[in-house]
Amino acid sequence: MKKTKWLISPVVLWLSLFLILPMAIVVVISFLGRDEFGNLVIQFSLDNYARFFDSLYLGIYWDTIALSVLTTLICVLISYPLAYYIANAGPTRQKIWLLFITVPFWINFLIRTYAWVLLLRSQGVVNSFLMDIGIIDEPLKMLYTKGAVLLGMVYTFIPYMVLPIYVSLEQMDRKLLEAASDLGASRWRAFWHITLPQTKSGMMTGSVLVFVSTAGMYVVTDILGGSKSTMLSNIIQTQFLGARDWPFGAALSVIFAITSLVLIYLFNMALRSRHERSKEGRA
Amino acid sequence: MKKMKWFASTVLAGAMIATLVVTAGCSQKETLNLYSWADNFDPDVIKDFEKKYDVTVNYAVFANNEDLLAKLKAGGSKYDVIQPSDYMVATMIQQDLLEPLNKDNIPNWNNISSHFKNLPYDKDNKYSIVYTSGVTGIAYNKKYVKGEITSWSDLWKPEFKDKVLLLDDMREVIGMGLKKNGFSNSSTNENEIKKSVDDIKQLLPSVLAFDTDNIKQKLIAEEGWIGTVWSGDAAYIAAQNPDIAYVIPKEGSTIFSDNYAIPKGAKNKDLAEKFINFMLDPEVSAKNYESIGYSDPNEKAKPFHSPEYQANKMINLSNDEFARTEWLMDVGKTLQVYDRYWTEIKSGRE
Repeated sequence: MKKTKWLISPVVLWLSLFLILPMAIVVVISFLGRDEFGNLVIQFSLDNYARFFDSLYLGIYWDTIALSVLTTLICVLISYPLAYYIANAGPTRQKIWLLFITVPFWINFLIRTYAWVLLLRSQGVVNSFLMDIGIIDEPLKMLYTKGAVLLGMVYTFIPYMVLPIYVSLEQMDRKLLEAASDLGASRWRAFWHITLPQTKSGMMTGSVLVFVSTAGMYVVTDILGGSKSTMLSNIIQTQFLGARDWPFGAALSVIFAITSLVLIYLFNMALRSRHERSKEGRA
Repeated sequence: MKKMKWFASTVLAGAMIATLVVTAGCSQKETLNLYSWADNFDPDVIKDFEKKYDVTVNYAVFANNEDLLAKLKAGGSKYDVIQPSDYMVATMIQQDLLEPLNKDNIPNWNNISSHFKNLPYDKDNKYSIVYTSGVTGIAYNKKYVKGEITSWSDLWKPEFKDKVLLLDDMREVIGMGLKKNGFSNSSTNENEIKKSVDDIKQLLPSVLAFDTDNIKQKLIAEEGWIGTVWSGDAAYIAAQNPDIAYVIPKEGSTIFSDNYAIPKGAKNKDLAEKFINFMLDPEVSAKNYESIGYSDPNEKAKPFHSPEYQANKMINLSNDEFARTEWLMDVGKTLQVYDRYWTEIKSGRE
């Protein structure tokens, strides 16, 4: 074990250079001041954090969390049945389905997002079709709405949810299901008491991935939301560029990072307590 | 032993990075490092320059002035010629980031129309020479917009609900509100700013989207009927969709420019000045601006331009239209006030 320890040194070097060091710089900047040209002023100040508690920024923070939670929930609801179906399909079919899930990753994300614009806009494919077959007279307003943003987020992050759930379904101990059925449990009951608890970790992993990615995504709100629904990440971007206020942008980044860490911690706690409970239950 | 391994892998990683850096900078010919907006030059004109002086032009692009400023502050000597906009020239001069230009090396400077010399952001052209300029106006689609559009307040008409496009730009949007109310587009008076922002909030229900880069496509595809558009973009839109009309509102509007400048510590200042002088040659500039479709401030280039280019009212504004434009100025400390209002406008929260 000890002899191979050096194998991780490139990773350690990489992480410290490109993750820990930049993060430390962000934390330091978040306590500094700025002059009117945006130059950093060396001083210790908590003002940047105090500013966050303004109702304007708290409101945007709340919007961001709400959209991320909603995206995560919808992703779970869509992904679970899909992952369940794939995991129970034959080996060749499984491969084909997994390919379908990953193919979108081969195409540039911006192109896929603009494709939604072509579909949803007032002269777009969907509206033209509905008008041609006479279901509607006026184009529906679908693009540049909060709904379009939600759709874009769910579309973008579904693979992040399907794959972990699929993996946990694959690794599940299927003998337990046979045992349940031998003991007379219905399929639904077996699913509820055996499959669902055993795939919780997959759902949790997927949820963390989707939640954190949604909260940090600002391209979708710009392209599909017409830049009208501002997220915390949009504010951070503005602070570093147009507003020339790096300390405030850094403080918001730190708050955002802490939110994500707290969330991941809570997820892990929830998982662990479940394991412990199940152990106790067995004992 | 463990320490040795650590050391070895560190050296290995360092060596790999060093190799990348060294090979990237390897070239025998003299190199001009040009840092500008995307598609800002006719590639053929750049090739002509490379041939004439037997040099290589390395053309890197930035997306906005703030990116450019951040790069320069991090050490600008990497670039020889940069193209900041008007207010950014002023900021860079104040921050001592620009090299004074030696006009003796740029005799073609005299070709520039007097309208574009000694502009307020660099009064004696000590650090910058104008490259192109434009104004912000209203573009609208005559198929849907009946009646004549003359004023910013036309955007507020109820029949344009969900059809108005605004630039995704803090200074442009708040500046429009200020102009509509008869104030300077760079006002630092908080009451004036508040009044204008309240006005813009009334407009929000009509706004289809905020967009800068793709506002052209939104008007061409007739997603929006009316919006704030830069004159150069308006020319492009009108070429694709003949129903588009363009007007500089009667209350006046914002004028802007891109400029040539040389960053402090540029390695190749001589070649940079040669480049600027070359681009200001009447024939070269005519070829360049015909290709990119922006306005040409070069007075001597007029005879070399096509009649279509000269007749295009969106590229060549009338004196009347120019007379009611105003340059954006750096608002200093008030930028924070603008930024807060902008966040309110964009998020719909207070």
